[in-house]
Amino acid sequence: MKPSLLARGLTGLYLLAFFGFLFGPLFIMVVTALNSSSFPRVSPWDCLTFEWFAKLAADERLQTGLLTSLGIGLAVVVVSVSLGLAGALFLTQIRPSARASYYTLITAPILIPGVVLGISTLIFWDRTAQMLGFGTDSFFYNGIFLTVLGQSSFISSYCMLVIISRLQRFDNGQIEAALDLGATNTQAFRRIMLPFLKPAIISAGIIAFLASFENYNTTVFTISSLHTFTTIISQKVRLGIDPSISAVAFIIILLTLIGALFYEGAHKRAELKKARQVAGDDMRGLFRRNPAMIMGVMVIVATMGGIWLAMNHSATQCKADLLEQKLERQRILEEQYRQSQPATGAEEPGGAPASQGLGAGAFGNVFDPKNLEGQAGVGEEGEEAGPPEGEPQEGDQQ
Amino acid sequence: MNIGTLARKFFEKNGVGMALFMMFGVSFWILFLIVLPQLTMVDFSFRFKLPPDAIGGPQDVYTTTNYEYFVNGNPGNIDGWNRVDVTVFWRTLIAALFVTIFNFVVCYPIAYYMAKVATGSWARLLALSLVVPYWINEILRAFAFRIIFGDAGLINTVLKTIGVIDSSIDFIRADVALYAGLGYAYILLMIFPLYSAIESLDKNQIEAARDMGSPWWRIHWRIVMPFAKAGITSGCTMVFMLSAGALAAPQILGGPSSLWFTQIIYQGFFEYFNWNRGAAYAIILLVSCMIIVLSIMKLFRVKMGEIGR
Repeated sequence: MKPSLLARGLTGLYLLAFFGFLFGPLFIMVVTALNSSSFPRVSPWDCLTFEWFAKLAADERLQTGLLTSLGIGLAVVVVSVSLGLAGALFLTQIRPSARASYYTLITAPILIPGVVLGISTLIFWDRTAQMLGFGTDSFFYNGIFLTVLGQSSFISSYCMLVIISRLQRFDNGQIEAALDLGATNTQAFRRIMLPFLKPAIISAGIIAFLASFENYNTTVFTISSLHTFTTIISQKVRLGIDPSISAVAFIIILLTLIGALFYEGAHKRAELKKARQVAGDDMRGLFRRNPAMIMGVMVIVATMGGIWLAMNHSATQCKADLLEQKLERQRILEEQYRQSQPATGAEEPGGAPASQGLGAGAFGNVFDPKNLEGQAGVGEEGEEAGPPEGEPQEGDQQ
Repeated sequence: MNIGTLARKFFEKNGVGMALFMMFGVSFWILFLIVLPQLTMVDFSFRFKLPPDAIGGPQDVYTTTNYEYFVNGNPGNIDGWNRVDVTVFWRTLIAALFVTIFNFVVCYPIAYYMAKVATGSWARLLALSLVVPYWINEILRAFAFRIIFGDAGLINTVLKTIGVIDSSIDFIRADVALYAGLGYAYILLMIFPLYSAIESLDKNQIEAARDMGSPWWRIHWRIVMPFAKAGITSGCTMVFMLSAGALAAPQILGGPSSLWFTQIIYQGFFEYFNWNRGAAYAIILLVSCMIIVLSIMKLFRVKMGEIGR
């Protein structure tokens, strides 16, 4: 039975609203990163600018934080994937009756609030250090050490879940066959089990890195006097928001998008390859019938174009114009105010320039030819020429 | 069979290297990352705040002061009980419950659509576009909502331009931004359990019910939802625990007059430097969340082992 047109329309609307909710915030961040207004906003639009990226590049604290985050992320990947692998393999070894409680214990950290994990890690190693007689300068109080352990406690559970889901499809007969043929246990593991688990281990690693990189709740307690990328961003946001944070978001969104498209493209490619092998066709184009791959390359090309534009674009002219407009608007308001006062209004020769000037302000001087020159980036000399303020000239097309 | 033979069999079956790897890995994880830290925290929460050299001394005895403080507050305060902390505690739990319900209502149709209606590459595209926002930093997602709901934010600007309102609505103070941000943050964690539960439902059951003349809402109420019960509970549990334990979103989006319970814990640690009380509060949060989750699971007759699959 085909669903009615109404039902399909409603479904479409709902999907649109849902994905609007999902992507709207991201879209807004991307747009605000390019607006020269010092408060991140979409409207009113001031000038296209890339200065927030420059501000970001000059932020040394953020870069140190980024390095710390990368280091922690890599360490967490190593620790969590190993622990997750050990945990997953161990699950297959124990009695079914013990399995449920083991599983509950080892997945529990996913449900424990990150704040609690951070606090317990901090307290536990603090007590351990004191019991063993280490001072506060020992590695037990090192923010990176504590953060890696705190994050690994629950990220290992993610890794284990990913590995388990692949392990469930493993045919144990392969290991038995290898052992029968004289392989040692280690050989059988390295030659058979590891290659089989490789895709799961890679995705567990990616998940672990991303989860570590964006973690805040646990890190904020364990990092002590150091800073990670996320804690610095959080401080910035709380102290006062400015579009350089949007610029961070812009870069992360772009990287995520490219990563996702290429992941999907690679998946599609493998699928197509398989289909071709079945069909006996050996045509292999990287982009053939692979929209994700094409889109990924397009995004990269667009990014490069954007970088080129950023190198050559200057918002100085546009901002100068904008300042002029604002000053002008202020002048007009003052004028109007003066006119509304009968005593002072008589001193000024006429009201006409003011009202016409208002029009120019409202239209943002778009009809001013000099303004166009400035937009095209001809030169800085537009600054002294400026838009004709409040004078009854061209540009007042009321 | 005793432990010795079990261990020997374990080593024989896996070889020394693998057996050591598993044993060392699992025991390190369980002992040093999960069990001992939690137990230490419990122990710590029942002790006085002492200077380092007094720890282990005669003053270092067990006490329930930190928990009493949660209920009573400072001795001699006006209310006679710790009004701020207890109110914030309840409000956090109730708000987290509402965020969970909101998320379920929003996500169920999408999960059903992805599992049963969408097909092929369209379904993959939908799944991919769900994942992308999830990998954007939690802080940045909250920041986006700050831009949208702020005083000079998008919604206020649009409403003012249309002429619906004259002065800005303070969405931040009304906590609208906070709830929207929390709901947004955990969409994926709700959708995926729902999706995988609904996906395994045999489509013929839905067809049969429809042929018998059952309206769409009854199909969902009597067939899809009961079938996906474990997935629903799993998604709701995760969203509830994570929003009750959220720290970043309340710090960024919370109004000036409203606090989230995690913020009180944070303050205890970094503003009053009272780790013991902070630990006690963390345990209060953990235990009450667990009680709520377990009783809901009991109510819907879902077992713990079915969660998180």
